Amino acid sequence: MSSFSWLSWWSPFIFKGFLMTLKMSAAGLTGGFVLGSLLALGDVYGGKITKAVVNAYVEFFRGSPLIVQLLMFYYGIPALTGYEWSAVTAGAITLMLNSAAYQKGYFKGAMESIPKDQLMAARSLGMSTRQIVLHIVLPQTYRIVIPAWSNEFVSLTKSTSALLIIGIMELTATAMTISALTFKPLQVYSVTAIIYFIWIYFALKIIEYIYERIRIPGLGETKTL
Amino acid sequence: MCASEIVLEGKKIGKKYGKLEVLRGISIRIKRGETKVIIGPSGSGKSTLLRILGLLEPPTKGTVIFKGMDVYASNKLNLNKIRSKIGFVFQQPSLFRHLTALDNVKLGLKVVRKMRDDEAKRKALEALRLVHMEEWIDHYPAQLSGGQQQRVAIARALAMDPDVLLMDEPTASLDIELTWEVIEVMEELAKKGITMLVVTHEIPFAKEVANEICFMSEGMIHECDIPENLLRNPKTPRAKAFLKRLIGEFGGR
Repeated sequence: MSSFSWLSWWSPFIFKGFLMTLKMSAAGLTGGFVLGSLLALGDVYGGKITKAVVNAYVEFFRGSPLIVQLLMFYYGIPALTGYEWSAVTAGAITLMLNSAAYQKGYFKGAMESIPKDQLMAARSLGMSTRQIVLHIVLPQTYRIVIPAWSNEFVSLTKSTSALLIIGIMELTATAMTISALTFKPLQVYSVTAIIYFIWIYFALKIIEYIYERIRIPGLGETKTL
Repeated sequence: MCASEIVLEGKKIGKKYGKLEVLRGISIRIKRGETKVIIGPSGSGKSTLLRILGLLEPPTKGTVIFKGMDVYASNKLNLNKIRSKIGFVFQQPSLFRHLTALDNVKLGLKVVRKMRDDEAKRKALEALRLVHMEEWIDHYPAQLSGGQQQRVAIARALAMDPDVLLMDEPTASLDIELTWEVIEVMEELAKKGITMLVVTHEIPFAKEVANEICFMSEGMIHECDIPENLLRNPKTPRAKAFLKRLIGEFGGR
Protein backbone atom coordinates (compact mmCIF):
# COMPACT_ATOMS: atom_id res chain seq x y z
CA MET A 1 0.00 0.00 0.00
CA SER A 2 1.47 3.33 -1.02
CA SER A 3 2.02 6.13 1.52
CA PHE A 4 -0.83 8.15 0.02
CA SER A 5 -3.43 5.46 -0.64
CA TRP A 6 -5.35 6.72 2.44
CA LEU A 7 -5.94 9.98 0.53
CA SER A 8 -8.56 8.67 -1.90
CA TRP A 9 -10.68 7.30 0.94
CA TRP A 10 -10.37 10.34 3.14
CA SER A 11 -10.47 13.02 0.44
CA PRO A 12 -14.24 13.76 0.76
CA PHE A 13 -13.65 14.50 4.46
CA ILE A 14 -10.65 16.68 3.64
CA PHE A 15 -12.73 18.53 1.06
CA LYS A 16 -15.50 19.06 3.59
CA GLY A 17 -12.95 20.39 6.09
CA PHE A 18 -11.50 22.69 3.46
CA LEU A 19 -14.98 24.04 2.65
CA MET A 20 -15.52 24.76 6.34
CA THR A 21 -12.19 26.63 6.39
CA LEU A 22 -13.32 28.69 3.39
CA LYS A 23 -16.70 29.38 4.95
CA MET A 24 -15.20 30.53 8.24
CA SER A 25 -12.51 32.63 6.52
CA ALA A 26 -15.15 34.30 4.36
CA ALA A 27 -17.35 35.02 7.39
CA GLY A 28 -14.43 36.45 9.38
CA LEU A 29 -13.08 38.53 6.53
CA THR A 30 -16.45 39.89 5.40
CA GLY A 31 -17.69 40.73 8.88
CA GLY A 32 -14.27 42.07 9.81
CA PHE A 33 -14.26 44.18 6.67
CA VAL A 34 -17.51 45.93 7.56
CA LEU A 35 -16.75 46.30 11.27
CA GLY A 36 -13.10 47.20 10.60
CA SER A 37 -14.21 49.98 8.22
CA LEU A 38 -16.54 51.43 10.84
CA LEU A 39 -13.84 51.21 13.52
CA ALA A 40 -11.34 52.98 11.24
CA LEU A 41 -13.85 55.74 10.43
CA GLY A 42 -14.46 56.16 14.17
CA ASP A 43 -10.75 56.31 14.90
CA VAL A 44 -9.86 58.71 12.08
CA TYR A 45 -12.86 61.03 12.08
CA GLY A 46 -14.54 60.40 15.45
CA GLY A 47 -14.37 62.38 18.68
CA LYS A 48 -12.20 61.60 21.70
CA ILE A 49 -14.64 59.12 23.24
CA THR A 50 -15.15 57.23 19.99
CA LYS A 51 -11.38 57.00 19.47
CA ALA A 52 -10.91 55.71 23.03
CA VAL A 53 -13.60 53.04 22.61
CA VAL A 54 -12.14 51.93 19.26
CA ASN A 55 -8.63 51.73 20.68
CA ALA A 56 -9.77 49.74 23.74
CA TYR A 57 -11.53 47.30 21.39
CA VAL A 58 -8.49 46.93 19.18
CA GLU A 59 -6.11 46.48 22.12
CA PHE A 60 -8.31 43.75 23.55
CA PHE A 61 -8.55 41.71 20.34
CA ARG A 62 -4.94 42.20 19.33
CA GLY A 63 -3.61 41.72 22.84
CA SER A 64 -5.14 38.32 23.63
CA PRO A 65 -4.76 34.96 21.85
CA LEU A 66 -7.43 33.98 19.33
CA ILE A 67 -7.86 30.62 21.06
CA VAL A 68 -8.68 32.36 24.34
CA GLN A 69 -11.17 34.59 22.54
CA LEU A 70 -12.83 31.56 20.91
CA LEU A 71 -13.17 29.77 24.25
CA MET A 72 -14.42 32.95 25.93
CA PHE A 73 -17.16 33.55 23.36
CA TYR A 74 -18.19 29.94 22.81
CA TYR A 75 -18.43 29.00 26.50
CA GLY A 76 -18.60 32.43 28.13
CA ILE A 77 -21.59 33.93 26.31
CA PRO A 78 -23.97 31.01 27.10
CA ALA A 79 -22.76 31.05 30.72
CA LEU A 80 -23.41 34.79 30.94
CA THR A 81 -26.69 35.08 29.00
CA GLY A 82 -28.13 31.57 28.98
CA TYR A 83 -28.24 31.78 25.18
CA GLU A 84 -26.81 28.63 23.60
CA TRP A 85 -25.15 29.05 20.25
CA SER A 86 -23.49 26.69 17.86
CA ALA A 87 -19.70 26.40 17.62
CA VAL A 88 -19.89 27.59 14.00
CA THR A 89 -21.80 30.76 14.91
CA ALA A 90 -19.55 31.48 17.89
CA GLY A 91 -16.45 30.79 15.77
CA ALA A 92 -17.57 32.99 12.88
CA ILE A 93 -18.43 35.89 15.18
CA THR A 94 -15.17 35.61 17.10
CA LEU A 95 -13.16 35.53 13.88
CA MET A 96 -15.07 38.55 12.63
CA LEU A 97 -14.49 40.54 15.83
CA ASN A 98 -10.83 39.55 15.88
CA SER A 99 -10.22 40.30 12.20
CA ALA A 100 -11.99 43.67 12.49
CA ALA A 101 -9.33 44.80 14.97
CA TYR A 102 -6.58 44.04 12.46
CA GLN A 103 -8.45 45.27 9.40
CA LYS A 104 -9.14 48.54 11.19
CA GLY A 105 -5.39 49.18 11.28
CA TYR A 106 -5.04 48.70 7.53
CA PHE A 107 -8.10 50.86 6.74
CA LYS A 108 -6.95 53.58 9.11
CA GLY A 109 -3.57 53.80 7.38
CA ALA A 110 -5.24 54.07 3.97
CA MET A 111 -7.75 56.69 5.18
CA GLU A 112 -5.00 58.80 6.65
CA SER A 113 -3.15 58.77 3.34
CA ILE A 114 -6.05 60.58 1.62
CA PRO A 115 -5.08 64.27 1.52
CA LYS A 116 -7.26 66.37 3.83
CA ASP A 117 -7.72 69.03 1.15
CA GLN A 118 -9.96 66.62 -0.77
CA LEU A 119 -12.31 66.45 2.20
CA MET A 120 -12.37 70.24 2.40
CA ALA A 121 -13.06 70.43 -1.37
CA ALA A 122 -15.95 67.96 -0.98
CA ARG A 123 -17.30 70.02 1.91
CA SER A 124 -17.12 73.16 -0.25
CA LEU A 125 -19.32 71.44 -2.85
CA GLY A 126 -21.95 71.06 -0.15
CA MET A 127 -21.47 67.36 0.54
CA SER A 128 -22.52 66.03 3.93
CA THR A 129 -20.18 63.96 6.10
CA ARG A 130 -22.01 60.79 5.06
CA GLN A 131 -21.66 61.66 1.38
CA ILE A 132 -17.96 62.46 1.83
CA VAL A 133 -17.37 59.08 3.48
CA LEU A 134 -19.31 57.18 0.80
CA HIS A 135 -18.06 58.99 -2.30
CA ILE A 136 -14.57 60.20 -1.36
CA VAL A 137 -13.11 58.33 1.62
CA LEU A 138 -14.20 54.70 1.18
CA PRO A 139 -13.68 54.34 -2.59
CA GLN A 140 -10.09 55.54 -2.19
CA THR A 141 -9.48 53.61 1.04
CA TYR A 142 -10.54 50.27 -0.44
CA ARG A 143 -8.32 50.73 -3.49
CA ILE A 144 -5.26 51.90 -1.55
CA VAL A 145 -5.58 49.20 1.12
CA ILE A 146 -5.62 46.07 -1.05
CA PRO A 147 -1.87 45.17 -0.94
CA ALA A 148 -1.68 45.61 2.85
CA TRP A 149 -5.08 44.00 3.39
CA SER A 150 -3.97 40.82 1.62
CA ASN A 151 -1.80 40.14 4.69
CA GLU A 152 -4.95 39.91 6.77
CA PHE A 153 -6.46 37.49 4.26
CA VAL A 154 -3.43 35.19 4.65
CA SER A 155 -3.29 35.57 8.41
CA LEU A 156 -7.00 34.95 8.97
CA THR A 157 -7.13 31.96 6.65
CA LYS A 158 -4.34 30.32 8.65
CA SER A 159 -5.92 31.37 11.96
CA THR A 160 -9.08 29.40 11.18
CA SER A 161 -7.13 26.32 12.32
CA ALA A 162 -7.62 27.62 15.89
CA LEU A 163 -11.33 26.80 15.47
CA LEU A 164 -10.55 23.15 16.23
CA ILE A 165 -10.39 24.18 19.90
CA ILE A 166 -14.18 24.58 19.94
CA GLY A 167 -14.74 21.44 17.89
CA ILE A 168 -15.31 22.87 14.42
CA MET A 169 -14.28 20.37 11.76
CA GLU A 170 -12.33 22.71 9.53
CA LEU A 171 -9.27 21.57 7.57
CA THR A 172 -6.79 21.22 10.44
CA ALA A 173 -9.30 19.52 12.76
CA THR A 174 -10.18 17.11 9.95
CA ALA A 175 -6.48 16.39 9.41
CA MET A 176 -6.00 15.68 13.13
CA THR A 177 -8.81 13.14 13.04
CA ILE A 178 -7.49 11.46 9.89
CA SER A 179 -3.98 11.38 11.31
CA ALA A 180 -5.21 9.75 14.51
CA LEU A 181 -7.10 7.12 12.54
CA THR A 182 -4.47 6.38 9.89
CA PHE A 183 -1.29 6.79 11.98
CA LYS A 184 0.25 8.77 9.10
CA PRO A 185 0.84 12.20 10.64
CA LEU A 186 3.62 13.30 8.28
CA GLN A 187 1.67 12.54 5.11
CA VAL A 188 -1.64 13.86 6.41
CA TYR A 189 -0.25 17.13 7.71
CA SER A 190 1.91 17.58 4.59
CA VAL A 191 -1.17 17.31 2.39
CA THR A 192 -2.99 19.72 4.72
CA ALA A 193 -0.16 22.27 4.51
CA ILE A 194 -0.10 21.94 0.72
CA ILE A 195 -3.85 22.60 0.51
CA TYR A 196 -3.49 25.76 2.63
CA PHE A 197 -0.51 26.83 0.53
CA ILE A 198 -2.25 26.30 -2.84
CA TRP A 199 -5.42 28.05 -1.72
CA ILE A 200 -3.54 31.06 -0.30
CA TYR A 201 -1.25 31.24 -3.32
CA PHE A 202 -4.11 31.34 -5.85
CA ALA A 203 -6.31 33.60 -3.73
CA LEU A 204 -3.43 36.10 -3.47
CA LYS A 205 -3.03 35.97 -7.25
CA ILE A 206 -6.75 36.77 -7.59
CA ILE A 207 -6.42 39.67 -5.12
CA GLU A 208 -3.38 40.94 -7.05
CA TYR A 209 -5.35 40.74 -10.31
CA ILE A 210 -8.27 42.66 -8.81
CA TYR A 211 -5.86 45.29 -7.47
CA GLU A 212 -4.31 45.76 -10.90
CA ARG A 213 -7.75 45.96 -12.53
CA ILE A 214 -9.10 48.67 -10.23
CA ARG A 215 -5.83 50.52 -9.64
CA ILE A 216 -5.99 54.21 -10.48
CA PRO A 217 -2.86 56.09 -11.63
CA GLY A 218 -1.33 58.11 -8.82
CA LEU A 219 -3.82 57.01 -6.16
CA GLY A 220 -2.13 56.45 -2.81
CA GLU A 221 1.13 57.93 -4.06
CA THR A 222 2.69 61.17 -2.85
CA LYS A 223 1.04 64.07 -4.61
CA THR A 224 3.14 66.13 -6.98
CA LEU A 225 2.09 68.98 -9.22
CA MET B 1 -32.42 90.89 -10.02
CA CYS B 2 -30.74 94.07 -8.76
CA ALA B 3 -27.30 94.60 -10.29
CA SER B 4 -25.84 95.81 -7.01
CA GLU B 5 -27.30 92.92 -5.03
CA ILE B 6 -24.88 91.86 -2.32
CA VAL B 7 -24.30 88.15 -2.74
CA LEU B 8 -21.92 87.51 0.11
CA GLU B 9 -20.99 89.62 3.06
CA GLY B 10 -18.68 89.17 6.00
CA LYS B 11 -19.71 91.26 8.99
CA LYS B 12 -17.11 92.17 11.63
CA ILE B 13 -15.48 88.76 11.26
CA GLY B 14 -13.02 87.81 13.97
CA LYS B 15 -11.12 84.56 14.23
CA LYS B 16 -8.90 83.25 16.98
CA TYR B 17 -6.97 79.99 17.13
CA GLY B 18 -6.29 79.67 20.85
CA LYS B 19 -4.64 82.93 21.79
CA LEU B 20 -3.63 83.76 18.23
CA GLU B 21 -5.91 86.36 16.71
CA VAL B 22 -5.92 85.85 12.94
CA LEU B 23 -8.80 88.10 11.89
CA ARG B 24 -9.74 91.33 13.67
CA GLY B 25 -13.25 92.43 12.80
CA ILE B 26 -13.23 92.29 8.99
CA SER B 27 -16.22 93.49 7.00
CA ILE B 28 -16.40 92.81 3.29
CA ARG B 29 -19.16 92.75 0.66
CA ILE B 30 -19.21 91.05 -2.72
CA LYS B 31 -21.79 92.34 -5.17
CA ARG B 32 -23.30 90.28 -7.97
CA GLY B 33 -21.14 90.36 -11.09
CA GLU B 34 -18.14 91.99 -9.48
CA THR B 35 -14.60 90.68 -9.24
CA LYS B 36 -12.97 91.62 -5.98
CA VAL B 37 -9.33 90.87 -5.33
CA ILE B 38 -7.61 90.62 -1.96
CA ILE B 39 -3.87 91.14 -1.76
CA GLY B 40 -1.63 91.15 1.25
CA PRO B 41 1.45 89.55 2.76
CA SER B 42 1.58 85.90 3.85
CA GLY B 43 0.07 85.28 7.26
CA SER B 44 -2.30 88.22 7.02
CA GLY B 45 -5.36 85.95 7.32
CA LYS B 46 -6.51 86.01 3.68
CA SER B 47 -7.05 82.24 3.42
CA THR B 48 -8.79 82.12 6.80
CA LEU B 49 -11.14 84.90 5.68
CA LEU B 50 -11.96 83.01 2.49
CA ARG B 51 -12.60 79.77 4.36
CA ILE B 52 -14.94 81.60 6.71
CA LEU B 53 -16.79 83.26 3.83
CA GLY B 54 -17.01 79.84 2.14
CA LEU B 55 -18.54 78.44 5.37
CA LEU B 56 -15.70 75.96 5.69
CA GLU B 57 -15.02 77.14 9.22
CA PRO B 58 -17.02 79.33 11.58
CA PRO B 59 -15.87 82.77 12.71
CA THR B 60 -15.12 83.38 16.38
CA LYS B 61 -16.88 86.74 16.13
CA GLY B 62 -19.16 88.33 13.57
CA THR B 63 -21.15 86.52 10.92
CA VAL B 64 -21.54 85.72 7.24
CA ILE B 65 -24.53 86.90 5.25
CA PHE B 66 -25.38 85.02 2.07
CA LYS B 67 -27.96 86.67 -0.18
CA GLY B 68 -29.34 88.62 2.78
CA MET B 69 -29.49 85.60 5.09
CA ASP B 70 -27.40 85.45 8.26
CA VAL B 71 -26.09 81.89 7.99
CA TYR B 72 -25.20 81.58 11.66
CA ALA B 73 -28.43 83.15 12.99
CA SER B 74 -30.30 79.86 13.14
CA ASN B 75 -29.33 76.23 13.64
CA LYS B 76 -32.09 75.28 11.24
CA LEU B 77 -30.25 76.53 8.17
CA ASN B 78 -28.69 73.80 6.09
CA LEU B 79 -25.08 74.95 5.76
CA ASN B 80 -24.29 72.27 3.15
CA LYS B 81 -27.01 73.65 0.90
CA ILE B 82 -25.56 77.17 1.19
CA ARG B 83 -22.00 75.89 0.70
CA SER B 84 -23.09 74.33 -2.58
CA LYS B 85 -23.96 77.82 -3.83
CA ILE B 86 -20.54 79.24 -2.90
CA GLY B 87 -17.85 77.91 -5.22
CA PHE B 88 -14.39 77.45 -3.75
CA VAL B 89 -11.06 76.96 -5.48
CA PHE B 90 -8.13 76.16 -3.21
CA GLN B 91 -4.39 76.81 -3.47
CA GLN B 92 -3.90 73.14 -4.25
CA PRO B 93 -6.24 71.73 -6.92
CA SER B 94 -7.62 69.20 -4.37
CA LEU B 95 -9.13 66.95 -7.01
CA PHE B 96 -10.61 63.61 -5.99
CA ARG B 97 -7.79 61.35 -7.08
CA HIS B 98 -9.92 58.26 -7.73
CA LEU B 99 -12.07 60.06 -10.27
CA THR B 100 -11.41 61.26 -13.82
CA ALA B 101 -11.62 64.97 -14.65
CA LEU B 102 -15.20 64.47 -15.86
CA ASP B 103 -16.25 62.50 -12.79
CA ASN B 104 -14.64 65.08 -10.49
CA VAL B 105 -16.94 67.70 -11.99
CA LYS B 106 -19.97 65.39 -12.11
CA LEU B 107 -19.77 64.26 -8.49
CA GLY B 108 -21.20 67.39 -6.85
CA LEU B 109 -23.95 67.59 -9.47
CA LYS B 110 -25.03 64.00 -8.86
CA VAL B 111 -24.57 63.76 -5.12
CA VAL B 112 -25.52 67.27 -4.00
CA ARG B 113 -27.75 68.51 -6.82
CA LYS B 114 -29.22 65.00 -7.35
CA MET B 115 -28.96 65.29 -11.15
CA ARG B 116 -29.38 62.29 -13.43
CA ASP B 117 -26.13 60.98 -14.88
CA ASP B 118 -26.73 62.27 -18.43
CA GLU B 119 -27.83 65.65 -17.13
CA ALA B 120 -24.76 65.88 -14.85
CA LYS B 121 -22.50 64.84 -17.71
CA ARG B 122 -23.88 67.55 -20.01
CA LYS B 123 -23.43 70.18 -17.32
CA ALA B 124 -19.93 68.96 -16.40
CA LEU B 125 -18.82 69.00 -20.04
CA GLU B 126 -20.10 72.55 -20.36
CA ALA B 127 -18.00 73.61 -17.35
CA LEU B 128 -14.94 71.74 -18.62
CA ARG B 129 -15.28 73.44 -22.00
CA LEU B 130 -15.32 76.79 -20.23
CA VAL B 131 -11.87 76.07 -18.78
CA HIS B 132 -10.63 74.47 -22.05
CA MET B 133 -10.31 70.98 -20.56
CA GLU B 134 -12.73 69.12 -22.83
CA GLU B 135 -9.84 67.13 -24.34
CA TRP B 136 -8.80 65.73 -20.98
CA ILE B 137 -12.05 64.52 -19.49
CA ASP B 138 -11.00 60.87 -19.13
CA HIS B 139 -7.70 61.62 -17.44
CA TYR B 140 -7.12 61.04 -13.75
CA PRO B 141 -5.64 63.91 -11.68
CA ALA B 142 -2.21 62.25 -11.58
CA GLN B 143 -2.17 62.30 -15.39
CA LEU B 144 -2.73 66.07 -15.56
CA SER B 145 -0.34 68.97 -15.02
CA GLY B 146 -0.85 71.26 -12.03
CA GLY B 147 -2.40 73.93 -14.24
CA GLN B 148 -4.79 71.43 -15.83
CA GLN B 149 -5.74 70.10 -12.42
CA GLN B 150 -6.49 73.60 -11.21
CA ARG B 151 -8.64 74.27 -14.28
CA VAL B 152 -10.63 71.11 -13.55
CA ALA B 153 -11.02 72.33 -9.96
CA ILE B 154 -12.39 75.61 -11.31
CA ALA B 155 -14.78 73.69 -13.58
CA ARG B 156 -15.89 71.58 -10.61
CA ALA B 157 -16.80 74.71 -8.68
CA LEU B 158 -18.42 76.42 -11.70
CA ALA B 159 -20.58 73.44 -12.65
CA MET B 160 -22.53 73.90 -9.43
CA ASP B 161 -23.72 77.32 -10.72
CA PRO B 162 -22.47 79.12 -7.63
CA ASP B 163 -23.67 82.62 -6.80
CA VAL B 164 -20.10 83.53 -6.01
CA LEU B 165 -16.74 81.92 -6.64
CA LEU B 166 -14.05 82.22 -3.95
CA MET B 167 -10.51 81.58 -5.12
CA ASP B 168 -7.67 81.25 -2.65
CA GLU B 169 -4.40 81.90 -4.49
CA PRO B 170 -5.27 79.35 -7.18
CA THR B 171 -1.89 79.79 -8.86
CA ALA B 172 0.24 79.68 -5.70
CA SER B 173 1.31 76.07 -6.23
CA LEU B 174 2.09 76.44 -9.95
CA ASP B 175 5.15 77.51 -11.86
CA ILE B 176 5.01 80.58 -14.13
CA GLU B 177 4.04 78.77 -17.32
CA LEU B 178 1.18 76.90 -15.67
CA THR B 179 0.13 80.02 -13.79
CA TRP B 180 -0.76 81.78 -17.03
CA GLU B 181 -3.10 79.10 -18.30
CA VAL B 182 -5.08 79.41 -15.03
CA ILE B 183 -4.94 83.21 -15.03
CA GLU B 184 -6.32 83.29 -18.59
CA VAL B 185 -9.28 81.17 -17.51
CA MET B 186 -9.86 83.42 -14.48
CA GLU B 187 -9.81 86.49 -16.72
CA GLU B 188 -12.35 84.91 -19.06
CA LEU B 189 -14.63 84.12 -16.12
CA ALA B 190 -14.38 87.66 -14.79
CA LYS B 191 -15.23 89.03 -18.22
CA LYS B 192 -18.27 86.71 -18.35
CA GLY B 193 -19.52 88.46 -15.23
CA ILE B 194 -19.06 85.60 -12.79
CA THR B 195 -19.03 86.99 -9.25
CA MET B 196 -15.60 86.33 -7.79
CA LEU B 197 -13.55 87.05 -4.70
CA VAL B 198 -9.95 86.18 -5.45
CA VAL B 199 -6.92 86.13 -3.20
CA THR B 200 -3.93 86.52 -5.49
CA HIS B 201 -0.58 88.14 -5.94
CA GLU B 202 -1.03 88.27 -9.71
CA ILE B 203 -1.09 92.05 -10.07
CA PRO B 204 -1.64 92.06 -13.86
CA PHE B 205 -4.77 89.95 -13.34
CA ALA B 206 -6.00 92.25 -10.59
CA LYS B 207 -5.31 95.30 -12.70
CA GLU B 208 -7.06 93.85 -15.74
CA VAL B 209 -10.27 92.48 -14.26
CA ALA B 210 -10.82 93.54 -10.64
CA ASN B 211 -13.57 96.02 -9.88
CA GLU B 212 -11.96 96.58 -6.54
CA ILE B 213 -8.79 95.51 -4.77
CA CYS B 214 -8.56 95.22 -1.00
CA PHE B 215 -5.28 95.25 0.86
CA MET B 216 -5.17 93.03 3.92
CA SER B 217 -2.51 92.76 6.59
CA GLU B 218 -2.38 91.48 10.17
CA GLY B 219 -5.98 90.29 10.12
CA MET B 220 -7.45 93.60 8.94
CA ILE B 221 -8.47 95.15 5.66
CA HIS B 222 -6.53 98.39 5.52
CA GLU B 223 -8.01 99.79 2.33
CA CYS B 224 -10.15 98.90 -0.68
CA ASP B 225 -10.19 100.86 -3.91
CA ILE B 226 -10.39 100.55 -7.67
CA PRO B 227 -7.20 98.95 -9.08
CA GLU B 228 -5.86 102.16 -10.56
CA ASN B 229 -5.98 103.98 -7.25
CA LEU B 230 -4.85 101.20 -4.97
CA LEU B 231 -1.98 100.05 -7.16
CA ARG B 232 -0.71 103.52 -8.02
CA ASN B 233 -1.50 105.54 -4.93
CA PRO B 234 -2.13 103.34 -1.92
CA LYS B 235 -3.21 105.38 1.08
CA THR B 236 -1.83 103.33 3.92
CA PRO B 237 1.93 102.97 4.57
CA ARG B 238 1.56 99.16 4.91
CA ALA B 239 -0.05 98.86 1.49
CA LYS B 240 2.58 101.16 0.02
CA ALA B 241 5.44 99.06 1.42
CA PHE B 242 3.80 95.80 0.33
CA LEU B 243 3.10 96.95 -3.22
CA LYS B 244 6.56 98.38 -3.56
CA ARG B 245 7.99 94.95 -2.77
CA LEU B 246 5.44 93.04 -4.86
CA ILE B 247 5.59 95.22 -7.95
CA GLY B 248 9.36 95.34 -7.62
CA GLU B 249 9.42 91.55 -7.60
CA PHE B 250 6.96 91.04 -10.49
CA GLY B 251 7.66 94.39 -12.17
CA GLY B 252 7.75 93.13 -15.72
CA ARG B 253 4.51 91.07 -15.56
